Amino acid sequence: MVTKKERVLRFSGSARFAHWGHTITFLVLLISGLALFSPSLGFLAAIFGGYVSAGVVHRVMAVFYTIIPLACLIANPKGFVEWWKDVFSFGADDIKFLMVFPLEFFGFPVKIPPQSKFNGGEKMNSVITTTSCVLLAISGYIMWFKESFPIGLVQWSYPIHDICMILATTMVCMHAYLGSFHPGSGESFWGMWKGTVRADWAAHHHAKWYEKVTGGK
Amino acid sequence: MTTRKMVFVDTSLCTGCKGCSVACKAWNELPAEKTKLIYGYISQDSTTPTTWTYMSYHEKYENGKMHFLMMKHQCYHCGDPACMKACPVGAISQTDSGYVLINQDKCIGCGYCVANCPWGIPKTDETKNKTYKCTGCIDRVENGLKPACVSTCQPGALQFGDREAMLQTAKARLEEVKKSYPKANLYGENLMGGTTYVYLLLDEPEVYGLPANPTVPSSLTFWKDIIQPYGGWLIPLAGAAAIGSFFSTRLINAASSKSKGGKTHGH
Repeated sequence: MVTKKERVLRFSGSARFAHWGHTITFLVLLISGLALFSPSLGFLAAIFGGYVSAGVVHRVMAVFYTIIPLACLIANPKGFVEWWKDVFSFGADDIKFLMVFPLEFFGFPVKIPPQSKFNGGEKMNSVITTTSCVLLAISGYIMWFKESFPIGLVQWSYPIHDICMILATTMVCMHAYLGSFHPGSGESFWGMWKGTVRADWAAHHHAKWYEKVTGGK
Repeated sequence: MTTRKMVFVDTSLCTGCKGCSVACKAWNELPAEKTKLIYGYISQDSTTPTTWTYMSYHEKYENGKMHFLMMKHQCYHCGDPACMKACPVGAISQTDSGYVLINQDKCIGCGYCVANCPWGIPKTDETKNKTYKCTGCIDRVENGLKPACVSTCQPGALQFGDREAMLQTAKARLEEVKKSYPKANLYGENLMGGTTYVYLLLDEPEVYGLPANPTVPSSLTFWKDIIQPYGGWLIPLAGAAAIGSFFSTRLINAASSKSKGGKTHGH
């Protein structure tokens, strides 16, 4: 039996830098961009000193938003491959997880099958968030440099940018809550903050991964 | 309620003098721009933030004969303006008389109207962060004057009046012109909800480089009528679920620990 004090590394430095760099840039982009999503959110532009300066902040942030994950990808391609390998090893246990997750989310006691480094929900989050964020960047640059692209592509970039924003922000609402105040989240916040998680928590929540990294001890 | 106005652009009478372009600049106090020779008489091939109307010339050869076609371009002042739908800050409005206007105080120069206008008419001044286009000389028209381009047109290729009456004039003229130009057609009567500038063209619109069937982009309808009004609700819904879960998880946990005598779920 593992002791309470033991800790295991869940996220490397570059993964954590990518995560929090993305968090900050995404939130600034969200707030500065929402002003144009609905006229009722126009007041948000005032935070940045008006629509025009909100637009400047949005563009400057967009550059960091693009560079940070790309830089981390170049710095640590192995970590990136490991992440996606796990995400796409989507099996029966992940499906079972997703089926009982709505109950677990609201606090009903359920039996969860052993999970790998990322549970079924985290895998879904990885796919939806990454797809949305890549499309957000692509559609955003098309809107920014619209003179350089075919007009039809520019016109479709506007609704695509909004759809991806909605999906990504919905995932943020869920993800931020699940990673902090949800009683089941436990150590997951510290995994992304300090990098390490309590060994007994890892054994309980990510049994398959825990066995792999500890060699089944 | 004012009646809808119309400018009838009879290209069969146009001589291509560019007087409309000059009068527009004079009345609207727009600076001259350095132009270059593009081809033939063509010195401009699009509107700019400070050129709201310009002339285009088209040489068409048919049976060894050259037809020299020409027309002025400016905002069409659509009955169903895509630019107005696209504007995220409500800077574009439409008058009862059919004029589509950009409120320069509200405009933020985002260029959404530029990308969604089927003719690409509005243009953004990237320094001022404002988008400009033809105002239809609303300031003249509302004071009983004709638009600057109409009042300067020497051959009488431009006429201004109430839309119904102007359309009658245009249709009668079309019958006349068709005798020598069988492909002549009226362009704008029913396009984009019926435009304020309606053209008598001597040939197919494509010959003039115009879209034959300009429409409100389907991406714009999808974006403004479905995604923005309904899609956005997914976000507060997710937020509400998180808040609901914050309380329900704790209530359920408290209830079960009471019944099980202090044993909680081992997170």
